[in-house]
Amino acid sequence: MQDYSDKRFLVVDDFNDFLSSVKAMLREMGARDVDTANRGEEAISMCRQKRYDIILHDYNLGSGKNGQQVLEELLAARLISHQCIFVMATAESSQAMVLSALEHEPDAYLTKPFNRASLAQRLDKLVERKTLLKPVLQALDKQAPAEVLAACDRLAQQDKRLLPLCLRYKAGALRELGRHEELERLLGGVLADRAVPWAYQALGNLLLARGDLVRAKEVFEKALQTFPMQPGLYDGVAAVLETQGEARRAQEVLEDAVRISPLAMRRQMQLGKLALRNEDFQGASKAYRSAVEQGRNSRLKSPENYLGLSQALIASAGDDSLDKRALAEINQTLAELDNQYGDDPALQVRARLMQASSLQKSGDPARAAQLAAQAVAQLDSLGEFLPAEAALAVAAQLQQLGQAEAGAAMLKNCVEIYGDDAKVMDGIARLTDDPAILAGGKEAVELNRQGVRAYQLGRASDALELFRRALALQPKNISIALNTAQSLLRLGGDTPSAELLAECRACLDAVRMIPSSDPRHERYQQLRRKAFGT
Amino acid sequence: MSGLDLATVIASTVHDMKNSLALLGQAQARWLAQLPAQLQASPERGVIEYEAARLNGMLVQLLGLYKLGVNQLPLYPAYHELDDFIGAQLARHQEILDSRGIAARAEVEAFDLMGFFDQELLGSVVGNVIANSIRYARSTLLIGAREENGELLLFINDDGAGYPPAMIEQQGDYVLGLNQSSGSTGLGLYFAARIAELHERDGRRGRIELGNGGLLGGGEFRIYLP
Repeated sequence: MQDYSDKRFLVVDDFNDFLSSVKAMLREMGARDVDTANRGEEAISMCRQKRYDIILHDYNLGSGKNGQQVLEELLAARLISHQCIFVMATAESSQAMVLSALEHEPDAYLTKPFNRASLAQRLDKLVERKTLLKPVLQALDKQAPAEVLAACDRLAQQDKRLLPLCLRYKAGALRELGRHEELERLLGGVLADRAVPWAYQALGNLLLARGDLVRAKEVFEKALQTFPMQPGLYDGVAAVLETQGEARRAQEVLEDAVRISPLAMRRQMQLGKLALRNEDFQGASKAYRSAVEQGRNSRLKSPENYLGLSQALIASAGDDSLDKRALAEINQTLAELDNQYGDDPALQVRARLMQASSLQKSGDPARAAQLAAQAVAQLDSLGEFLPAEAALAVAAQLQQLGQAEAGAAMLKNCVEIYGDDAKVMDGIARLTDDPAILAGGKEAVELNRQGVRAYQLGRASDALELFRRALALQPKNISIALNTAQSLLRLGGDTPSAELLAECRACLDAVRMIPSSDPRHERYQQLRRKAFGT
Repeated sequence: MSGLDLATVIASTVHDMKNSLALLGQAQARWLAQLPAQLQASPERGVIEYEAARLNGMLVQLLGLYKLGVNQLPLYPAYHELDDFIGAQLARHQEILDSRGIAARAEVEAFDLMGFFDQELLGSVVGNVIANSIRYARSTLLIGAREENGELLLFINDDGAGYPPAMIEQQGDYVLGLNQSSGSTGLGLYFAARIAELHERDGRRGRIELGNGGLLGGGEFRIYLP
């Protein structure tokens, strides 16, 4: 038996009887420092005050955050170290598998009711394992993936019991370091030996991220033959199908995943998005409603769910006017959105447009027009570009609200900023036939494409010329601006001239309104640091 | 009621029964905590706990069989240390073993022997076998594991009278679920065989075997995983 006298425990359960019985067990095991909490929110605030060594958390606490949400939050806010032992108590053993949180798994599940012998056996083992893994866990705490790799290699050689865990940590570290080829080799090696669920998932995700859709789909589908109950694999297949433009089949696949594991906010959100796109408004309302519901207790909650739910409800009415129930739900949803995100001007504009759409469909066109006009005025003063998907949704609403001119301007903007993205162009094509808008970015995008090829071939000055010509046509295109800045910096070497730096800064400034949610935001920041020397 | 799916009705009822049983268990534990020490260790307590565990095991099995039938039994295999896995199974049954005066021990070939299996599913199989062996064992129970021909062998031995000869001869029928006349035993073996089969590697599947003799002279339950 391990020594528990110096360990700090936190036990979380909504039943006080259970708390006192576990507390008694821990005392018999020699524990002296045992805190308890009834709610997840309470547990999180206690972890802010004190570093716990061992947390025993009930999964289903009735109201408020569940155990999985608490764990995610503790890790995201770095309120617990990787060395902390987190045990999830569940009411039945099958629950553990349905949790489907591959990203953040607890160290162990313990099925209730359990006796002292089981608790002691479980904790003894976990303390032993975490002690052996200490160098890896410390490196994880330091967020030093290179050190994680080194520690894993060392430990796996010393003790073969640690090998499977070390491989998993290594995979995470390689992904973080962007060493994709090594990661693919490692995962291939794991899978050559055994059909390991997490390795299938990681390999599929890697291929998907790289755009190797055909192989990604193969991997996910092969894994599903063995593991038909693993929802993450369905997410992967759906993502492939969506990228291939098969939105309907993607929706079907996600519906399967939701049947297996309904408690996953991001999955419901994705399903809502697909259903909306497929004009399955009932399905979209249902999925977005679940996402809103689940998001309430989660740090992953997103404003898009509130907007998506409102949009789906409005669209469900078709050409009829909204019924009272739908109207009440829309109002409540938008009020909650305002309550949560009232300080975000872009969301305010979008919420206002949504409100206008619902008024238009409930017999108050005058007020709808008034709100729409207000929203259009607000749009001009936003400090950030709208993300592409939001911009398209706003453009569609402006069209429906009779703000044709503002809608067209929005689409024109979209072409300029995101015109190199085929998916965005597809979306724009669904909303307009105007050749002036659709062809607006063609020439610049082609020049950009040639520039990328020249850059890849090492012809940096040719590339720069092409990027410059593209940028002259579309100065707000994020990709072109970043490409131009990058080739300027590359040509400038270690001591770029003042002239070159000025040009670089100018093209970065032209896209300074890049949304912070944009995947290229990180790259933008890096270039900015180089060009502005901060 | 047209379109009544009896299997689904039974499954959801079993689910409720399991919840009821858990609540009964909690009430019983609270009640016990209020009793003076000498009454706490009464033989009736052993009976209640043992039979409750058996009931729970049977209900879990029924649910598992239902899910197997509709291809919804989640399989989540991973690498596990056998030493740890067996330790956890014995710990779960500690009170019952103590109250029956049965000494149980684990015997793993090497301290770092690893297996690749779904620990919840295999745990429910081993739990059922232990609960069964407790009924027949005189004083000793042994759970062990070793590697045999590239497979993992997990065995559970007792020092009781062993399985009836007919059962050993016709074990294939039990395993196939053909002979369910003996109630939970047949069902348990069928369940165990199906769980073993779910574990597959390069076309080879897991299997179970019954025997007598073994290290303790009584019944021996063997499960092979590729």
